Amino acid sequence: MSLLSVARLAKTYGGAAALRDASLTIEAGEVHALMGENGAGKSTLIRILAGVVQADSGEITVAGEPASIANARDAYRLGLRFLHQELNVASRLSVAENIFLGRAYPTRWGGLVDWAALRDRASAALAALSASHIAPETIVGRLAVGDRMIVKIASTFVDDASAPGRIFVMDEPTAALTSEESERLFRILDELQRRRAGVLYVSHRIEEVLRISNRITVLRDGVSQPPIATAEATREMLIERMTGRTRLEAAARPRQSTNARVALSVDRLTGKGLEEISFDVREGEILGLAGLGDAGGDRLLRALMGAMTGGSVTIAGEGVRPRGPAEGWRRGLAYVPRERRSEGLLLSQSISDNVALPHLNRLSHLRLFLNRLAERAETAAVGRRVRLRATGPRQRAWRLSGGNQQKVMFARAVAGAPRLLLLDEPTRGVDVAARFDIHALLREIAAAGAAVVIASSDREELLALCSRIAILTDGRLSRIVPAEGLTAARLLALCYGDDRV
Amino acid sequence: MNSPAIAFVRRHGTLIGVALVVVYFWLHLPATFLTGRNLLNISQQMSMLTVVASTMTVVMAMGDFDLSVGSMASLAGVVAALVFLAGGSTAVAIGVALSAGLVGGLLNGFLVAYVGILPFIGTLGAMTVYGGLAFWLSGGKTLFGSAIPHGFSDFARSGIPLGFDLTFPNLTLLALLSAALVWVFLEQTVAGRRLYAIGDNAEAARLAGVPVRPLRFASFGLAGVGAALAGLMYASRVASANPTQGSGLMLDAIAAVFLGQTMTEEGEPRVLATLAGVLIIGVLGNGLTQMNVDSYVRDMLTGAIVIAAVATSSLGRRRGE
Repeated sequence: MSLLSVARLAKTYGGAAALRDASLTIEAGEVHALMGENGAGKSTLIRILAGVVQADSGEITVAGEPASIANARDAYRLGLRFLHQELNVASRLSVAENIFLGRAYPTRWGGLVDWAALRDRASAALAALSASHIAPETIVGRLAVGDRMIVKIASTFVDDASAPGRIFVMDEPTAALTSEESERLFRILDELQRRRAGVLYVSHRIEEVLRISNRITVLRDGVSQPPIATAEATREMLIERMTGRTRLEAAARPRQSTNARVALSVDRLTGKGLEEISFDVREGEILGLAGLGDAGGDRLLRALMGAMTGGSVTIAGEGVRPRGPAEGWRRGLAYVPRERRSEGLLLSQSISDNVALPHLNRLSHLRLFLNRLAERAETAAVGRRVRLRATGPRQRAWRLSGGNQQKVMFARAVAGAPRLLLLDEPTRGVDVAARFDIHALLREIAAAGAAVVIASSDREELLALCSRIAILTDGRLSRIVPAEGLTAARLLALCYGDDRV
Repeated sequence: MNSPAIAFVRRHGTLIGVALVVVYFWLHLPATFLTGRNLLNISQQMSMLTVVASTMTVVMAMGDFDLSVGSMASLAGVVAALVFLAGGSTAVAIGVALSAGLVGGLLNGFLVAYVGILPFIGTLGAMTVYGGLAFWLSGGKTLFGSAIPHGFSDFARSGIPLGFDLTFPNLTLLALLSAALVWVFLEQTVAGRRLYAIGDNAEAARLAGVPVRPLRFASFGLAGVGAALAGLMYASRVASANPTQGSGLMLDAIAAVFLGQTMTEEGEPRVLATLAGVLIIGVLGNGLTQMNVDSYVRDMLTGAIVIAAVATSSLGRRRGE
């Protein structure tokens, strides 16, 4: 008897079919991966399981019993627990309070909160995840992202005798995690399997899915395909099933000519959490920034964009020291921040407004009055270049899928023909096809002579794109290695400080 | 949640409500309400609010507020009257009053943009300070008399003759001119677009090269100038200045912008929508006054209408997939 079985689910939103025929089963002790491009219906399936929306048709069975999930409370009672990619924590409350958020706090004396019991039970939940390094009284806002994720996981694990958690739905749980934090999560998954719980694991990361899951179900255009045993699955097979395309692997890494001119030269740069970093990037080169956890790649990009406190930066032989992003863009730098929703997009505005924002001076009359025709023409041109799928330049950013939103960020970055492109996790939370398009675009931009610097926790991505990779350790540049001949495992070893080349 | 009927009510609910109100007044006041004279009268009554609400739209486009505009309007009127009492000319009085507005506004802008105080708190403090200053400078009295030149007070009482014994009031003209300037600024300039970017997502705007601090600083300055201009218009209209005469402007201006926001596509503040909001408040006030409704009741109705409008427009505005 399966722990969870969904059969022939369908859901239509205002005429658009989000889910047409989705079926899958999860056995006790199984990690079942769910994969698919953005817009394939994964989110809708999760929302149905969570009771956020109701399916138009189809059946859900939990431990053999037909189940109807009308709201979040029903899902909870059935033992379903959800871990979303967006970390919804109450950042001003303590760890213990977050763990018990949304359920009854332990009480004493007729209703007053029993803070000591709350803390003890939170400690116990954290200890069960071997995460005793997190103190239950810490304010969550002070924790690293990975630790916040563990707090969320702990909150799904707190024992509730009336409704024990037995099916865990994880939506892109590693998207915001460092590699050690991901490892910790994987150990938690092992523990869940040992306890005979079931896990529905949604991820774009193929290597990860191949490593930790037992079976894989692929959704394409709202239709599920029969599950594959992970032992028999390959990367190519999954990509083909998700996209319907067979060949997605791109051309080899661009050849780097060593006599190209130096595009960016950084000398003893210092900044918040950065110490004396020096390196060069040549025109046409893609340099990767790798490191464990909070090593400082993101801070290095921000420092180049104007947050540096010391040292010097030379771009195309010209000494520059941007005092802020405004000057950075003016001097030919372009920056794609890590969090597209909170740091990048103007969600309620049009694609054209989003793309043109840093380039308004150029796309205007007399640098004073807007020139909407020029803005739309430019947006259409770069939109085609990044293969943006949208109804037109006036479509609002919030209506786009995650992959297309990221393409809007790229369209903004390449619109000014930048000399130096700074990218922070450029393909995070983006589906395989969009990732492919973005990688192709980056190679094209580099081939046209721009220098590109990418901070990424996705080692496969760095190896696929970069000619050299800079290894950062706690805000210091420990070494720069050529990517040629490097494997992901070797790169990880280098990040851990292994000195053999 | 997304049925066409709900979408229609959400977007146009405010206008439907206003149309009903206008029809109601028209039926109850057939002889006086929908007449050219009365409409011009309303436009003049609303001219100060039009100016303040327009510049308030600029600040609110960035997602900020300026609570000090009412006090600033009073202060500017008092300052102008003091200049007159000291023997200054009309030009000097207007210049000094507008400068006071600019300085006061930039001070707000400095607190918000460079010191980093929340606009609500910063301008709340400024509201009290400017209000107190107006009392202190005027000695708590209404300033009037022969010192106020006729040229200054006649401006508000005259206008462009339209024939049929009607005149287009100067104050209305000035208000429309100010609103038009703000419209050009917000809708047609690079700086205006950047303000909306800040209002949508200030951090994203900063990282995309928008000079967030200077723009915030300058926008509050503009709101101060708008408030001072409204104060001068008021002083001209009543040929006097007292330290509380602008006090109703701030809440009405914010209400007008909110009413306007219920009529725009994404709920953002737009000047033309704000003008519609001003008109709603004006029509309501004028009609209820003519029907001899108590001014307290009028306040209650205005407040209830703002809440109802914002509530209908947020029906189903929740964003999801």
